[in-house]
Amino acid sequence: MALRMWASSTSNALRISVSSKAHLSPAFSLSRCFSSVLDGLKYASSHEWVKHEGSVATIGITDHAQDHLGEVVFVELPEKGGSISKGGSFGAVESVKATSDINSPISGEVVEVNSKLSESPGMINSSPYEEGWMIKVKPTNPSELESLMGPKEYTKFCEEEDASH
Amino acid sequence: MRVPRNLEVWKMGTVSYLDALKLQEKLVSDRKANKISDTLLSLQHLPTYTLGKRRTDHNLLIPESALKYIGAELHYTQRGGDITFHGPRQAILYPIISLRDIGLGARNYVEKLELTMIRLASLYGVKANAGQKGETGVWVREKKIGAIGVRISSGITSHGLAFNIDPNLEYFKHIVPCGIADKEVTSLRREVDLVLPDDEVIHEQLISCFVRLFGFSNVISKENPPILLDDAKRE
Repeated sequence: MALRMWASSTSNALRISVSSKAHLSPAFSLSRCFSSVLDGLKYASSHEWVKHEGSVATIGITDHAQDHLGEVVFVELPEKGGSISKGGSFGAVESVKATSDINSPISGEVVEVNSKLSESPGMINSSPYEEGWMIKVKPTNPSELESLMGPKEYTKFCEEEDASH
Repeated sequence: MRVPRNLEVWKMGTVSYLDALKLQEKLVSDRKANKISDTLLSLQHLPTYTLGKRRTDHNLLIPESALKYIGAELHYTQRGGDITFHGPRQAILYPIISLRDIGLGARNYVEKLELTMIRLASLYGVKANAGQKGETGVWVREKKIGAIGVRISSGITSHGLAFNIDPNLEYFKHIVPCGIADKEVTSLRREVDLVLPDDEVIHEQLISCFVRLFGFSNVISKENPPILLDDAKRE
């Protein structure tokens, strides 16, 4: 009974976390739904997140994504100045001998790239929402952000995805 | 009520690496557009060294210009993993499947590919296991019997696994296999005392292990399918 209450309050804390510290290490594995999801971000069904601040949007992959990938050993990112389109691939990560394309949730011009990832690709695993950010873009079509999921929607999406198989 | 899951299996015999690559690109694109069902290519290659996306060519121990003297090609690919060798008597599976449809991430997918080869080995009484962390692949004690290198694009897989039935292991001496030094390679032939059946039989068993592990309920086989579809102007 106590365990259930604790699990319930912990899961609420995880789902509606406004903490600036993105890293929430799953010290237990009661459920696959315990990947962290942050407030204030938008989410794509292909498990990327977007943080829109003024004229710049930062993009990375979610905790759910990094968990399903395994340990990231290599990251390929685009050049600064390049343009990317919504749904198109902008880079790739390698984990467990698999290269996985990363798709962009929005269209825009790449204004910054996280060069630290070439030396420390594991930051994507340990800090997917903070140090593991991948690119910053100038969105060319800000309305695209509206069709992305909010944190509650994305959490539900992950639960349904994991549960149905 | 379980939704039936379809798999189309192409049994292709020996195929050139480039032809197989082009075919996979087309199939991935078709699968993305939902024009085809999940597809599995079962084949062997002529002697070929391949590199992954990280282009770790420092793990090729002879100059590229010398490859022709040992009858081998070299190809750079977009798959994960390090350098490896493919050749006759090595069973290869290239699954072109939608991971999103079956709710698998890269890690789980690769684990299932490892299990596919482990199960095949066990049919012959060979106890194989998945590698330690960071050493994806299938091992018999400290020797590698099966390799994996995969590409996932919008959730659709390509490339896949390679299982050593009885390839010429000398070819592996010219590389640091999978970038792991001091580890040897082995084959099913080396690990069993009995006479092995024809490669075709072993390919069938490998396909069977894959089908069961991935839960496909409806399997359609295609023998000797055309390598390149809709390519009337082929040289």
